[in-house]
Amino acid sequence: MVAGERFSRQSFLGEGAQAIIGNSIIGLCGQGGGGSHIAQQLAHVGFQHYRIFDGDVAEDSNLNRLVGATVEDCLMETRKTDIAERTIKRLQPDADVKVYSCRWQDHPEPLRGCDLIFGCVDGFGERRELEASARRYLIPLIDIGMDIHCVENEPPRMAGQIILSMPGGPCMFCLGFLNEQALAREGERYGDAGPRPQVVWPNGVLASTAVGIAVDLLTDWTRSLRSVVYLEYDGNRNTVKPHPRLQYIQVTACPHYPADQIGDPVYRRVA
Amino acid sequence: MIVHGRIPQQLYLRVRADLARRHEFAAERVGFLSARLGNRAGEERLLLFSDYHSVPDDQYIDDPRSGARIDGIAIREGMQRVLDTGDGLFHVHHHAHRGKPGFSWMDRNETPRIVSSLQVAGPDQAHGMVLLSDDFCIAHIWLPQSDQPVVASRVTVVGYPLQSFDAEV
Repeated sequence: MVAGERFSRQSFLGEGAQAIIGNSIIGLCGQGGGGSHIAQQLAHVGFQHYRIFDGDVAEDSNLNRLVGATVEDCLMETRKTDIAERTIKRLQPDADVKVYSCRWQDHPEPLRGCDLIFGCVDGFGERRELEASARRYLIPLIDIGMDIHCVENEPPRMAGQIILSMPGGPCMFCLGFLNEQALAREGERYGDAGPRPQVVWPNGVLASTAVGIAVDLLTDWTRSLRSVVYLEYDGNRNTVKPHPRLQYIQVTACPHYPADQIGDPVYRRVA
Repeated sequence: MIVHGRIPQQLYLRVRADLARRHEFAAERVGFLSARLGNRAGEERLLLFSDYHSVPDDQYIDDPRSGARIDGIAIREGMQRVLDTGDGLFHVHHHAHRGKPGFSWMDRNETPRIVSSLQVAGPDQAHGMVLLSDDFCIAHIWLPQSDQPVVASRVTVVGYPLQSFDAEV
């Protein structure tokens, strides 16, 4: 349903922008605090095609940040993907919403068909896997994430990131966001991390920024998005700004995901 | 069968720059794009373009009836490339106008013969033809073991901005 007046306040996006938005296939990996915000905003903007992945159900501990979830959802153990679909359909009744109540890795084919992916996953390892797949199938990936670090005798520090990973350009390794040490540390802690602090407002900031980047990438309304995006969020100061590391990044071709490593992996003859 | 084509923007611009070069006698240039299939198990197959190969000036035949005609050496080099790389190969050229382009009678009759040769070299790959206009891109794809092409429902140029060309516009 695209009513005549519905998108009149966003006509500045350009002639044909609404059609581009409506035709784009969006992948959403993770429907927690960040992903649920993104799903809702995409529906408001007018996106019509969604592929949503998350294997979890709503729990009491989610209600402080899971947009669209209700107390009843927790009692009924409603799947997060179903909550997302419900949120979207209330705004876009005719939207094509395909939900997969599993990890994306367990059913990767639909994700490969997406034009753009939002990564709202936990941990470095999950990000590495998602970016590797997005690169292999030439899909731009917008990653968001946040964490709260408790330091002795100091206020907790709330930090996050928004990264637009474009095939061919700098990846999360090139940007220094991912590295082998961080992945190894995460691997050592696997299983005993416990519940991590999460709240609604930083997710809202990160998700809103990510949706803005997606709309710009698709419609080119600012005519200024021409290179990698790596934004850092400081939740203690309420700022979002380009990561300082960006000024030192000089990547012309990503060495981690070479241009010839695309498509389905196949056996090749050794010369 | 739904097939989406995807091409990195840097590669797309490289193709356009090469095809825009003037030739001594040919009215237009042609080239070849390497491509791989992706998501073979999914509902939407993906055609992922990975490299571009210009046709050298001396592999054009002076034929006033055709905008660009290439010789047997160019075809054989293409077949060898398929054998060497295991990638599919797509004939690509440009029609100088805006909007969605259409393959000419000559394109529809001559290029499939090139595709047939490429299929001999690489029967398990997808081959085909790509046509650019000044602001659009379409692709016809012969999937492995197929003697009829499918039209790419969408070709996306992956870069800033993300550009998608839908076959049905």
